[in-house]
Amino acid sequence: MTTRTKKTTAAAAAKPKRATRAPAPPVSKEVPAKPQRKPKPKPKPKPEPKPERARRAAAAAPDADPSVVAQIRELEAQLDRLIDEASRHDVSSLDPEDAETWHGEPTFEPGDPVPSDPVPDVSEPSFDAEVTLPIASTTGTWPESGPGPASVGAGPGAGFGDGAGPAASPSYGAGAVPPAPESVFDTARELLSSDFYLRKWGRLAMRGRSEEVDDFGFDPIYDAKLKPVLDFLYDKYFRVETTGIASVPKTGRCLLVANHSGTLPLDGVMIKAAVKREGRDVRWLTEDFIYHMPYLGSAMNRLGAVRACQENAERLLANEQLVAVFPEGVKGIGKLFAQRYRLQRFGRGGFIKLCLRTGTPIVPVAVTGAEETNPLLFKIEHLSKALGVPYVPVTPTFPLLGPLGLLPAPTKWTIQFGEPLDLSSHGPSAADDEILVGKLAERVRATIQGMLDRNVGSRKSVFFG
Amino acid sequence: MTVTGAASFLGTNLVGLLEEDERVARIVAIDIKPPVTAQRKTRFYEVDFTQPTAEARLSEIFAAERTDTVVHLAFLASPSHGLAVAHELESVGTRHVLVAARHARLRKVVMWSQTTLYGADPSNPNFLTEKHPLRAPASEPFFADKIEAEAEAARFAQKVPGAIVTVLRTAPILGPTIHNYVTRYLSRKIVPTMMGFDPLLQFVHEIDAIAAFKLAIDRDHPGIFNIVADGVLPLSTVIKLAGRLAVPIPHPLAHTLGAALWLAHMSEAPASFMTHLRFLCVADGEKAKVKMGFRPAYTTREAVLDFTSAQRLRDVKLLQETPA
Repeated sequence: MTTRTKKTTAAAAAKPKRATRAPAPPVSKEVPAKPQRKPKPKPKPKPEPKPERARRAAAAAPDADPSVVAQIRELEAQLDRLIDEASRHDVSSLDPEDAETWHGEPTFEPGDPVPSDPVPDVSEPSFDAEVTLPIASTTGTWPESGPGPASVGAGPGAGFGDGAGPAASPSYGAGAVPPAPESVFDTARELLSSDFYLRKWGRLAMRGRSEEVDDFGFDPIYDAKLKPVLDFLYDKYFRVETTGIASVPKTGRCLLVANHSGTLPLDGVMIKAAVKREGRDVRWLTEDFIYHMPYLGSAMNRLGAVRACQENAERLLANEQLVAVFPEGVKGIGKLFAQRYRLQRFGRGGFIKLCLRTGTPIVPVAVTGAEETNPLLFKIEHLSKALGVPYVPVTPTFPLLGPLGLLPAPTKWTIQFGEPLDLSSHGPSAADDEILVGKLAERVRATIQGMLDRNVGSRKSVFFG
Repeated sequence: MTVTGAASFLGTNLVGLLEEDERVARIVAIDIKPPVTAQRKTRFYEVDFTQPTAEARLSEIFAAERTDTVVHLAFLASPSHGLAVAHELESVGTRHVLVAARHARLRKVVMWSQTTLYGADPSNPNFLTEKHPLRAPASEPFFADKIEAEAEAARFAQKVPGAIVTVLRTAPILGPTIHNYVTRYLSRKIVPTMMGFDPLLQFVHEIDAIAAFKLAIDRDHPGIFNIVADGVLPLSTVIKLAGRLAVPIPHPLAHTLGAALWLAHMSEAPASFMTHLRFLCVADGEKAKVKMGFRPAYTTREAVLDFTSAQRLRDVKLLQETPA
């Protein structure tokens, strides 16, 4: 829709331009390039006095016959039009000889006291045959323009209305002057003007993105565009095996609580891809340093990530959305390889309070395989402070191979969705009971840890499952 | 009914709207120049809020005109280089108005504020409610003066229990006729952005903003309200809808560059506004909808499109006047 409006405005912008560079009449074939640069002879001072004079004349005879007034109007319009055409014609295609003959014309001598002399008195109704066009006859390029009776009788209304505007001229459209075909130069000029690229850019601009995102920044078109990439990662690269997806409700609010692992936060995206196959969109909460990372953060946001904070989670759940959280936070993705699949502290139990307050069921999720994608050997503490990131990872490949070293290893992943945990029996007031919150958080943590231990124990190979 | 800052965009339109309202008997317009929409109902007084005598003068006017409501719109819509005058006008000027209002025992004070005062902080939630503290950097006078003015209003509401104090925090106003730093930013041919950042933006259409003030005048709605349009748009989409070219600047450089451009009078806003190009500052308009019955007619996207279509016409006109 935008591209269409853009196109039309672009066309509108281009039209007046084209009108000013009027088509060259056949006579001026010998004319060298750039005829616009030629000094513009007489007609400039002319256009003003004539119509004004006519108007004055019309005003001077208020009790005149209405048909006469109409005729005057018509003539006035015609004059306007002809003057307009003549001046345009002069500007665009006046060759030296023409200019000379022009200056030689006695009626248009600069010393002439009354420049509008050749025009007969406009108040006279019966003069239309005499409205010879001195300009046209001088240049001789318009054998049958303007003053012909056919164009006079074209109808007063149309003639008047069109003649008023300098851009649109009826006899111009009637074919008195054949429009020059689009030359190679026109095309080249179009291509070379910076406006052309801006217009093209404008047309392409909204490709691959929606004009409207939802309140949290999810862009369905961007999501659809990236779907093949996610599908590739899900099916071919990590060969994700999902179990227990049935415990994710088809509708209504629900909180997925998962372990966080793998230096790069790919687990959120894979959980999203897994749930998407069941036809639901999941909004996952990301920690600040990912959310505010250049490019990655905004891309994640368009795919459905939301900055992790209590207000956002509450609002999402109030909208009956499916929300995934990683209560370990940065501690989860930033844990060393030696601590793999050992769940870190579950924050301060914020997610439990959230569920208690909003009466949301919890589905524990265990992601296996992500820990080995970028095994974290060390963290450089000093550099992380200087760069403003929570940790600078050292993996077997990362600083060694440059950015390429951040490519995740193609491990075999499993995502297991556990049995839903309903906390509604505790009631919303239980959110203030810190002991209970701690107990429930520990219970969820133990459930996920158990699922992880089973899945890690049962796999034979990191890469082949 | 008194309108301060009557010659501003909001003031002019509000005076025009009140002129047509037969329930309003008299409009007192206060500014340093008369509003163009003033008709027979409007009486104009020239009061310069930056003068120390403004307080007494306002109090006299309030008493003489027997006004019961003051709509305080005398704030700068765009950041200014004249910091001292801005401080006098906004912070001290609000004090003048409120002191005079207290003295004249006005029934109601409606004040304009902006959601940008929440500040684009990285720790902002996606939607800021009215309870959220105003965390815009106090080092920026544009924000600091307005935050001080809001604090003045809060103190006034506390000290004068009978008075109704309504503060309307509008999102950046966009529309076909308004001119402010946001419209100037979006009408640049090349629009600077932060490399890699694409925050969600929120606007309010000029018509909705004016309608909100009318609502606050017609009925009594004490409290603070966010006046925002529905929906948000990423900055990149806004720029593309506006048909402009975004030029990403790495954010470590941007602050210095922005400060230099502002110093050279070549940018719309000082460098401290650049956080708005990086982080979220989106307000929640739920309270205004529920309590005030404010229904924005334009979504954020529609406001952007309305502004854009008017801007395109202006561009075309410019192109016609100065052919390439």
